[in-house]
Amino acid sequence: MKSNTQQTPKFGPLEKAFRFIGVNRIHIHILLILVSGVTLAPYLWALSTSLKYRVNVFTETPQWIPNPVNLGNYKEVFRMAPFGLYLVNTIVVVVGILAIQILTMSTAAYAFSRLRFRGSEGLFFLFIVQMMLPVHATIVPNYLIVNKLGLLDSRLALMVPFWATGYGTFLLRQSFRQVPRDFEDAAMIDGCSGLRFLYSILLPMAKPTLVAFSLISIVTHWNDFFWPLVVTDSPAVRTLTMGLAMFVQQESGADWTLLMAATIFVTAPLMVLFLIYQRKFIESFMSAGIKG
Amino acid sequence: MSSSRLNLTKTRPYLYLVPSLALLSVFTYFPILYSTYLSFFRQNVFTLEPVFDWFANYAAVFEEPVFKIVVRNTVVYALGTIPITMFLALLMAILLNEQLGWIRDIYRVACFYPTMIPMAAAGMLAVWLFNPGIGLINHYLKMFGVPTIEWLYDMKWALPAIMLTAIWKNFGYFMLIYLAGLQNIPGELYESASIEGCGFWSRLRYITLPLLGPTTVFVVIQGIITSFQVFDLVYVMTQGGPADRTNVFVYYIYQNAFRFWDFGQASALTVMFVIVLLILVFILTRFMERRVHYEV
Repeated sequence: MKSNTQQTPKFGPLEKAFRFIGVNRIHIHILLILVSGVTLAPYLWALSTSLKYRVNVFTETPQWIPNPVNLGNYKEVFRMAPFGLYLVNTIVVVVGILAIQILTMSTAAYAFSRLRFRGSEGLFFLFIVQMMLPVHATIVPNYLIVNKLGLLDSRLALMVPFWATGYGTFLLRQSFRQVPRDFEDAAMIDGCSGLRFLYSILLPMAKPTLVAFSLISIVTHWNDFFWPLVVTDSPAVRTLTMGLAMFVQQESGADWTLLMAATIFVTAPLMVLFLIYQRKFIESFMSAGIKG
Repeated sequence: MSSSRLNLTKTRPYLYLVPSLALLSVFTYFPILYSTYLSFFRQNVFTLEPVFDWFANYAAVFEEPVFKIVVRNTVVYALGTIPITMFLALLMAILLNEQLGWIRDIYRVACFYPTMIPMAAAGMLAVWLFNPGIGLINHYLKMFGVPTIEWLYDMKWALPAIMLTAIWKNFGYFMLIYLAGLQNIPGELYESASIEGCGFWSRLRYITLPLLGPTTVFVVIQGIITSFQVFDLVYVMTQGGPADRTNVFVYYIYQNAFRFWDFGQASALTVMFVIVLLILVFILTRFMERRVHYEV
């Protein structure tokens, strides 16, 4: 991308190498189109099914473009189950998790990156441990704890266990560390220290990291299934993924147009956001690596 | 005055950690200890009160014939999905690292979008595609003369169907990790290699792959953690069936806890799960770090 563009005008780093084994750009494109086609097919097929009349689902050759188009399946799905409510619940839970996560991780990351204190390394290790442990490892005790707290089958139960995040703290610490010491000294002289320094200077400077973490957190919790399955029981608090699973049981696999309409609806909000902000999403997942 | 001030600066850092540490204690550290504690008690629908019974739960786990099947399924799943996912991810990353113009964004989106889909929804898409009678996959297989496969209803094919779904769902994410790794490799290395007259394979062998070492360590560990956790797909696609042929570790824990309400046994399984996972990750980091000399 720099000055070497002159030697390799159209191609990337392996261009000559690819040529050497007789691969040219067309071959690469053909392979990429093949793989992309295969990966796109499941979603497009579901979308197409969700827009069909029931009679057109069983055709001799697969009908990729529904003819005639039928939007009624989505209406029917909404009539059969409160998917609007599920959507609201999901948004409440996802935003509720993220908001508190940002509060807890920013003060912790501040302490770990800018302050010196006894036992800081040991404590930081405790945060890292949480990164490695899957939710599944704590499922039984967490169920019992949430039960003890009287939170079973509530939206709060869906949020509390995720309010502290070792991963978020880790990411934010990295980016706070890159803010030079001079900034802090200058701010101190202006009487800006502690929490004020954190919220008015450090956090704004760490915006890319915050955005990356937020996107990953939103995607993770929007798609969460295991924890909601264990702690929710009634439609009033169910999230979209749970609602979908319950809808499947209710519908018991009889009508594929309805099942696919429900599936597409559950995935649609994130998918639309992703298509609009695909660069931001991809950048974030690339820079922040692991799922939060 | 100065002493109280000193005190404040000393305790301040800890105050900043209190919210996180309090939450982590209640929902992470305590549960781990509590799991271990619970695993020594018989606690199921037949017991009114938890009864301390040494390693009875652990012994019971190994007596269960299903457990062997569960372990085998989990291992097959991990050994099957991780290498294929890694290969696809690396291949696509290498190709997409070339300068392909605007269309590159479309390829990237096409490979990565499954990451945005909930596992449960991905499972639903798969159930529809793998439908034996009117599913798309059997339809196209028939065109190539392959006889109808019962997929999720077939003892042999149910697990592979879930594995294929997982590969489709996950490889795009790992592709991005590899792309990030590739972009850290300085282009000058390839230039000097081509001046030296290195061919494709030697560049791949001596530049690309070694410099991707740390990325690969990360991908393998992440892959193991993800594949040991597979649950949503199994729940939606097969509920562990047919005849436990898709019952995997986490699903088995869930079954014991919330279907059979045997918290003792579920806790014992959880403890084993965590220990195995940590040992695997530890061994891998050690083993692979010794072979990876390159820092990027």
